Amino acid sequence: MITEELLKNRAGFEDKMRKLIGRPVLLIELDVFALPCGCAGITANMRGLEIDDLDVFEPAILPLVKEMAANLGIKPTVIFARVVPGSSIVASLNWRMLCPRCYPEFARGEGKMPRPDLYMLQFERRK
Amino acid sequence: MKLFVPSPGHIDSLKELLKQKEKIYSIFMAGSPDYIGTGRSNLASPQLEDIKEQTEFAHKNGVKMELVLNSSCMGGRQLTPEGFRINHWYIEKLVDIGIDSIVVADPYLVETISRDFDVDVVVSVLAFVDSPQKAEFFEDLGAKSIVIDSNVNRHFDVLHAIRDSVDCELKLLVNEGCLYRCPFRYAHFNFFSHAFGPEPRPNVLDDYYYLKCLELRIKNPELITKSPWIRPEDLKLYRDITDVYKIGGRTHFVDWILNCVNAYYNESYDGNLMDLLDCPKDLKDLYNIPNKSFDGILEKQWKNCRKVCNKCGYCRTLTKKVVQVYSNGGTGFEKCLPWVEVKT
Repeated sequence: MITEELLKNRAGFEDKMRKLIGRPVLLIELDVFALPCGCAGITANMRGLEIDDLDVFEPAILPLVKEMAANLGIKPTVIFARVVPGSSIVASLNWRMLCPRCYPEFARGEGKMPRPDLYMLQFERRK
Repeated sequence: MKLFVPSPGHIDSLKELLKQKEKIYSIFMAGSPDYIGTGRSNLASPQLEDIKEQTEFAHKNGVKMELVLNSSCMGGRQLTPEGFRINHWYIEKLVDIGIDSIVVADPYLVETISRDFDVDVVVSVLAFVDSPQKAEFFEDLGAKSIVIDSNVNRHFDVLHAIRDSVDCELKLLVNEGCLYRCPFRYAHFNFFSHAFGPEPRPNVLDDYYYLKCLELRIKNPELITKSPWIRPEDLKLYRDITDVYKIGGRTHFVDWILNCVNAYYNESYDGNLMDLLDCPKDLKDLYNIPNKSFDGILEKQWKNCRKVCNKCGYCRTLTKKVVQVYSNGGTGFEKCLPWVEVKT
């Protein structure tokens, strides 16, 4: 049952993030989505997570992020955080299986922050 | 006790709320965003005919109706000839409908409405009346009632000074969970005033002020302890100041609103304090703070607190003692852990 899996993974991911960062964070909503273009994935809307946390803990966060994607059967092309530009706030973590139309938008981006509101955690380039 | 109770703004929610009409003195709700707007978010934008229907229904049930037009920034539009004409037209319609009172934040609107219309003018909490001088100023402009700035809800010397300075009604907003002396307050309410006011409205992806406010309180729940909410059990300590209380929360479900109504009407709540607080709604699934664990603290500590937190530490210690964090929320393994155990 997908809802049970979502509830279990929401709680599990939140718990692991808290243990990693050493303070409470809130995964306020975990969504699985499908877009009309063909992209699909997961969004974890976070509260209390900061860009500094990503900077410092990124090597430890990535396995957690990949684990949840695997649990929910998502093979993401790109994993990124959506941030509030010019602030410390991480609004959400996003796992996205990119469609052929959206792939180039991400593929042409450079660096950790290809857009002021995106912080890249992983991008798998086509071979 | 007079309880002013929020309504999300449509007739169905009003009908549900007034099933407990014996506990409610007045309903308040926002009007249409196309005229003056409000300083907080809204779920509905009732047009004049909706407001008329709801006002008649409230009156038929012996409950008053208050309209909230408390935009904290109108971009100067209210001072233009066109703005003056439109606002006057709208208020005239509201008065014709039989609205009992209108809440405004702008001093100009306080004066012009009280001079030109036969309706009670209420000074919004967003006018930040936090001193006897400001209260006198607004009373002189024509205010019949003032909602005192919630920042001074625990400053009893100021509350008494305001009470002694004016004859008009004073109201206390009891369940706003905003940060004490919130640095976002002006910017956030100005943003809301534009987002929930007339066109053009800003197209905003994320509400920075709200997200930052949550971030601060997730990092440090002591900020929740220090917020100037008033517990239902503590209303008795305010009786010599006022017996008129406003419950915030017009974007909540009716069930949530009625839970607050019952708590404040009965002056007791045996549950999570976060259930009652309007503003950090999202944090009720993070923190469990037993309301009863604050029994006696207003009288013993906060009533005479000098608010020099770095030299005191009382709220810090109290927070460590009472705040719990939900772990494994939404699963069969949900439990509450002391906050100090989750924070390393």
